[in-house]
Amino acid sequence: MAFVTLHNVTYQYPLTQSPALQEINLKINEGEFLAVVGPNGAGKSTLCYALAGFVPHFFKGELTGEITVDGKKSSEATLDEWVMNVGLAFQNPFNQISGAKFTVFEELAFGLENIGIPREEMKVRVEEAMALTGIRELADRSPYSLSGGQQQRVALTSILVMKPKLLVLDEPTSQMDPIGTREVFSVVRKMAEEGMTVVMVEHKVEWIANFADRVMALKDGRMVLEGKPNEVLTSDMLAENGFGISRYTSTAREAKKRGLWKKENLPVTLDEAVEGFAK
Amino acid sequence: MNLNRSFFVPVNSPLHNLNPLTKLALVFSMILPAFLSLPQLAPFLAIPILIAVFIGRVQKQYFNLLLKLVLPTILFMFVMQSLFLPGGETVILNLGIFDVTRESMQSAFYTVSRIFVMISSFAILLLTTHPSELMSDLTRRGLPGQFAYVIISTLQILPQMQAKAQTIIAAQRSRGLDTESSFRKRIGSLVPLVGPLVFGSLVEVEERAIAIEARGFTSKRVKTSLHEIPDPAFDKILRGILVILVIASFTLNLWLS
Ligand SMILES: Nc1ncnc2c1ncn2[C@@H]1O[C@H](COP(=O)(O)OP(=O)(O)OP(=O)(O)O)[C@@H](O)[C@H]1O
Ligand SMILES: [Mg+2]
Repeated sequence: MAFVTLHNVTYQYPLTQSPALQEINLKINEGEFLAVVGPNGAGKSTLCYALAGFVPHFFKGELTGEITVDGKKSSEATLDEWVMNVGLAFQNPFNQISGAKFTVFEELAFGLENIGIPREEMKVRVEEAMALTGIRELADRSPYSLSGGQQQRVALTSILVMKPKLLVLDEPTSQMDPIGTREVFSVVRKMAEEGMTVVMVEHKVEWIANFADRVMALKDGRMVLEGKPNEVLTSDMLAENGFGISRYTSTAREAKKRGLWKKENLPVTLDEAVEGFAK
Repeated sequence: MNLNRSFFVPVNSPLHNLNPLTKLALVFSMILPAFLSLPQLAPFLAIPILIAVFIGRVQKQYFNLLLKLVLPTILFMFVMQSLFLPGGETVILNLGIFDVTRESMQSAFYTVSRIFVMISSFAILLLTTHPSELMSDLTRRGLPGQFAYVIISTLQILPQMQAKAQTIIAAQRSRGLDTESSFRKRIGSLVPLVGPLVFGSLVEVEERAIAIEARGFTSKRVKTSLHEIPDPAFDKILRGILVILVIASFTLNLWLS
């Protein structure tokens, strides 16, 4: 059975005219890395909140359908139980700093203190998580003194240290340079290899093509496409609907019209483009 | 900007090594007698305060704080009280309708002494105690976690709000908002700042609530704490002595009066 299932999920925020999510049906296997793409306002963040239990337990409004993670229904759990299994890092890293801690090390320990992890184990887990995401040298800095990209790394680490079974990341690299982005994707891939299930909202399609197992495309609250990264990210439908497209895909699409691209599939990454044009 | 955003001075001293609760007990064993006992006592409490400043090795920061914050406040209070406290016979100074009397000056002196004792004791506590340790220790002893969170995050977030107000002002000014002319005009032109500051804060509060919730803040499990905060027998005995001293001072006070 799938580890995460969304069955006919429809959700509307209070005081809004139309649903932010409409009839979403989705299954995610354990250890799978699913990327979510979509234009602004598509409902990506809302989907993250729904997976992490904040819809409907924090945001009121109307939720129909059913979300199941690890055999448990989100509607039947309480939020504080739900977050033990599902970790969420969201878009703005600044607002994810707890504000209760004075160093990055303490900030990372905050979640572990809350769930009662013994002190010695806490220290070990924080050290491990910092090594994983490469922020060891930030340990003694104030979280407020960091750059946006560094804060995003801290936000990601503060969730990883909790060892969730389902990791939900909402644009975790939006303020990062290419090196930071690569590290985040590698870490996330590694966690997935180790059995963590990952849902990641991301605009950087070339990275998705390299690292994710599957992609779903959202628009106006509906899932419009879903499948293998290369198939979804090169589909004409995305290009026509305002989704972010790799420049290699659009170049090859033009080339194909003029008969310069011979392969059936369009490329997403530089490597695929080079290989295709070389033929 | 102060990146640490706390008063804490990280040096090693006998005061730094006391348990936070012991220091809190010391603070109250200064404040309670200062306010509830004979007014003449308060000025003398400056002596133990000064001793504590040196034992805690925070002279520089303390006197800095004293000059910038405490002295202006208590001077202002002293002047106001001397002028406006009614009663007293011995007129020292006559300023039109105001009489400054010996008695009003004396009572103003006692009042500001009390204020001085209060602010100074808390200042020394904050200078020698890491805020996380203070809060962890108090939460461990049963202070509700939410309460501790509110206190400590307010300490941290105030400078953030201030920085943000500056950013918004800069942004509005670049769009032609007048923040530099006459007072009345300035008040009027502040109105457009309120929206972004307050609304921005509400969204931030919501996101922050989600963020700490996602990290188990309302979990019903028994919380643990990263810092081990020692509470040796010495501290317990000291607290016992302080309680006895405070009670004794009240008894003495009642007996004398
Ligand atoms: N707290 C809220 N209350 C009411 N409506 C909201 C709230 N948050 C989002 N919405 C609305 O729900 C819809 C989906 O928003 P959502 O934030 O999920 O989009 P998104 O795909 O994450 O966009 P972005 O790329 O800008 O992050 C939008 O129409 C938005 O206006
Ligand atoms: Mg979003």
